[in-house]
Amino acid sequence: MMELIEANKDMLLFTAAAGVKVLAFLGAIMGFAGLLTLAERKVSALMQDRIGPNRASVLGFTLNGLFHPLADAIKMIFKEDFVPARAEKLLFTLAPMFALVPVLALFAVIPFGDYVMVFGYQLDLQIADVPLGIFFVLALSGLAIYGVFLAGWASKNNFALLGAMRGAAQMVSYEVVLGLTMVGLLMIYGSGSLQDMVRAQGKLLFDFIPAWGIVLQPFAFVLFLTAAIAENKRTPFDLVEGESEIIGYFMEYSSMRFAAFMFAEFVEIILVAMLASTLFFGGWQVPYLYDTGFIFPGGGALELDHYLVAALQVGSIIAKTIFFSWFLLVVRWTLPRFRFDQLMSLCWKGLLPLALLNILVTGAAMLLLGKI
Amino acid sequence: MISVKKVDNRTLNFLERIYIWEIARGIAVTSRHFFINLFNPKKIMTVQYPEEKLALPASALLRTRHRLKVRADGSPKCVACFMCQTACPAFCIKIESAEYPDNSVEKYPAVFDIDLSRCVMCGMCVEACPEDAISMDTGEIPGAAVTRSALLLTKEDLLRNLPGEPSVLGAANALANEYLRSRGEE
Amino acid sequence: MPKLTIDGKTIEVAKGTTLLEAAQQLGVYIPRYCYHPRLSVSGNCRMCLVEVEKAPKLVTACSTEAAEGMTVRTDSEKVKAARKDVLEFLLINHPLDCPICDQAGECGLQDYYMEYSLKKSRFSREDKVRRGKRRPLGPNLVLDNERCILCTRCVRFCAEVTKTSELEVMERADHSFIDLKEGKALDNGYTLNIADICPVGAWTSRDFRFKQRVWFLKKTPTVCLGCATGCQIEAHHNDNTIYRIMPRPNAETNTWLCDQGRMTYKAVQAGDRLSKGVIRNGVIDLEPALREAATRIDAAHSAAAVAVLGSPWLSVEDNAALARLAKDAIKTESFCFDLAAEQGIKDGILINKDAAPNTAGVALVKAAHGGISLGELASRLASGKIKVLVTEARAAAFLKPVLASAKPLLIVFATNRAQIPPEAYATLAYASYFETPGTFVNYQGLRRTTEPAVNAREGVKPLWTLVSKLAAYSGASLKLDSPEDALKGIDFK
Repeated sequence: MMELIEANKDMLLFTAAAGVKVLAFLGAIMGFAGLLTLAERKVSALMQDRIGPNRASVLGFTLNGLFHPLADAIKMIFKEDFVPARAEKLLFTLAPMFALVPVLALFAVIPFGDYVMVFGYQLDLQIADVPLGIFFVLALSGLAIYGVFLAGWASKNNFALLGAMRGAAQMVSYEVVLGLTMVGLLMIYGSGSLQDMVRAQGKLLFDFIPAWGIVLQPFAFVLFLTAAIAENKRTPFDLVEGESEIIGYFMEYSSMRFAAFMFAEFVEIILVAMLASTLFFGGWQVPYLYDTGFIFPGGGALELDHYLVAALQVGSIIAKTIFFSWFLLVVRWTLPRFRFDQLMSLCWKGLLPLALLNILVTGAAMLLLGKI
Repeated sequence: MISVKKVDNRTLNFLERIYIWEIARGIAVTSRHFFINLFNPKKIMTVQYPEEKLALPASALLRTRHRLKVRADGSPKCVACFMCQTACPAFCIKIESAEYPDNSVEKYPAVFDIDLSRCVMCGMCVEACPEDAISMDTGEIPGAAVTRSALLLTKEDLLRNLPGEPSVLGAANALANEYLRSRGEE
Repeated sequence: MPKLTIDGKTIEVAKGTTLLEAAQQLGVYIPRYCYHPRLSVSGNCRMCLVEVEKAPKLVTACSTEAAEGMTVRTDSEKVKAARKDVLEFLLINHPLDCPICDQAGECGLQDYYMEYSLKKSRFSREDKVRRGKRRPLGPNLVLDNERCILCTRCVRFCAEVTKTSELEVMERADHSFIDLKEGKALDNGYTLNIADICPVGAWTSRDFRFKQRVWFLKKTPTVCLGCATGCQIEAHHNDNTIYRIMPRPNAETNTWLCDQGRMTYKAVQAGDRLSKGVIRNGVIDLEPALREAATRIDAAHSAAAVAVLGSPWLSVEDNAALARLAKDAIKTESFCFDLAAEQGIKDGILINKDAAPNTAGVALVKAAHGGISLGELASRLASGKIKVLVTEARAAAFLKPVLASAKPLLIVFATNRAQIPPEAYATLAYASYFETPGTFVNYQGLRRTTEPAVNAREGVKPLWTLVSKLAAYSGASLKLDSPEDALKGIDFK
């Protein structure tokens, strides 16, 4: 027995480490998404000079509304789980899972830190370092279309189907832009692994500017953010739901099935925020922070403990994620919605040529700078 | 006459057409509000109803919770003519009439219920009342309630005079006023 | 046959026709207060003034006979002004207490004011002549002299219809008022008609007073079942409650309605109304009561031991259903629909000598289904051959002396507890004829059908349904699915 364990020690360690990482990371994501449901309402309230939800109380304590996600969850659970009589029962049930699972699976390839030494073992702070992680991202986000379209189709409701059609058209279109913006990054970093990309962003340009994606590919960042919000189906690209028109692919859903769609949307916010910070804002990188501590361009240095460095790096990605989540909420509550034809022409006539141009310019620049 | 407002539909300039700058300006406005309110919530407009209440405007057009006016002897001014029940578009008034043995106005409401859960606060009952007996000037805004019965106003809940009353208007009420005068109660 | 023109339309009318009647035939409405088609013409209200060509003044349409070549205008400016002025006169002393007046909604003053006047009164409240208000006169009426316009319809009604002359106009000019003559009481049995014909709120019904506003009432035409006269009536009801009964004037039977007939609706919503079955004195659900009755009928061992008696208080359908029960389900020969009674108007106005509404209808059932005579049934009962008797509660009184001695098991149908005879073993509740349609034949042989004004209480069924169920419990189907099924074979001529 012992020999068996000894023989497969690496395997077991890897499995245990992966399990711990999945649980911890997913737990954090889920908790953060729950808080985002409250943040969405609080941020919008503060932007509009209101207070926002603050009434849910436990034993008289409201904690300024902190119990609202809990109250919402309880409410959702106890709502009637309604399935329309003529709906496709199986697909109707599968659709919320198709919406939620790919989004959660995407977090596997996002690094949330460099590595940390535990009892002499090097623990990578990433669930799976897939060599072509960036394609994994594109592939799984493409899967999310199924959730939308199956929900609309299985509901057997014309309005739901209309919403789903819009959703599919929009997501397929912006998928293209999303992919093309990443091509520029691939060219610069020369790797499809997200961890490699983050590591590459730790370098310095002219010895003092961090080589973050935003510096190298500012144009791609704008395109990426636009396309990502569109993928996320949030205002100003929320034609799929169209709250004021009541055409939503999940209009027949209630209870936890509906909650799954809503939750997927909030998890997607985190995903977009994490991807944006990973691809363009150095991921877990803190400027001038290296394995041993800070080394400033002026010549100053600050020795730091390995664990402190790891904690700073993880804190860095957390802070960036929080910032971008907040930014996405602000965008959602600031901008009015596009018309569907505007949405489509923005994609095909605006973003797509720009993305292609970006690749061209990137390639030319690399050629000129002799990087190839 | 429909008033016409000319809108300046000038074509957008380049900076505006590429959105980015305008979006940034918009976000600057909203995030300014966000941060000001986050750190200095004084400007927040929210009123924590029902714990806090704003003073209602003193307007004759204001319609608040109903009341039934009371005569000098404590009897309702209402003579159960059913005009309010007839005028009510929400069918929320229920009256049962009864007869006084002595008062010369003869008729009074034995039951006068207003179901606030149905009431649409339109004020038609006040308009319809020929005896100036019902009014919507209590200044109270009927809020939500946990039970249906809490929203059912009975005659006892409704009978109330404001300072400066009892008023003596109304044709049939003249009979009641006469009666009260004869008994030396007015 | 004088030929005249009213408002440009020409009509030929019988000699002696007044202008108002002629106009009515033409469809031209002339407002009136004192005129009533069944009372003598008084011509005191002046509301019906019309302009006749070559006449020096406006004339009252109600009292002017149509003459050859007359040209009448009812819509000229002069007539309109006259109506306005007359209304102002009539309203000089009116107290305007419509909010507490029961007539509001069907008041001649309100209607004509809106239609013809809309003029503000020039008389302040202080100048108005005050009179007695709320004087109870007689058992059924309240008089308010302030509202009275002295049209004298009530005086003429008492003088001409009931010929009791209790009422009179007292004093003169603007002192005059309606009052009871000395030593008289307003209890002639037709007094509520006064409240009907009063065009204003001076006379109001004590029974209906303040119960309901008239504009809420829905009207269902039906038939009075107070006696064999079978007056046509209108039941006024709201929210499944009947509030009053008004006559439906018709040429064959009635213009008026007696006070007794007006109160027949009370039994429908009385406190002793049955909604279930009663076995001796215990109330049980209808189904078990029916089963018990059926068991008792079956337990009588032979069909000959069961007798069925029809009832003049039941409709033709229900009597026919009872006959079918006897003939086809129980298969007894002892069934009796021979209930003749002396008929005819008792008091010269409406009340019939026969207090049951459907004696003539029962005779039709007898003609269709046969049966033994009442005497024969009594003797069979007396001989003790009959053990079970099925009948309607009030009809059991026909056999009262025999029932006391023979003591058969009595199964009755009743609507109210008060109807149940003391000998009854089982009582089955049925829907009254205000709740279910029924055909009745009055003393003149006229077929009259009641129309349901209100819904029966939960679980209360028409009698023919109970009979059908009773038969079913005894194992026979009468194939009664509708009242029309029961009427099969009945010849109404």
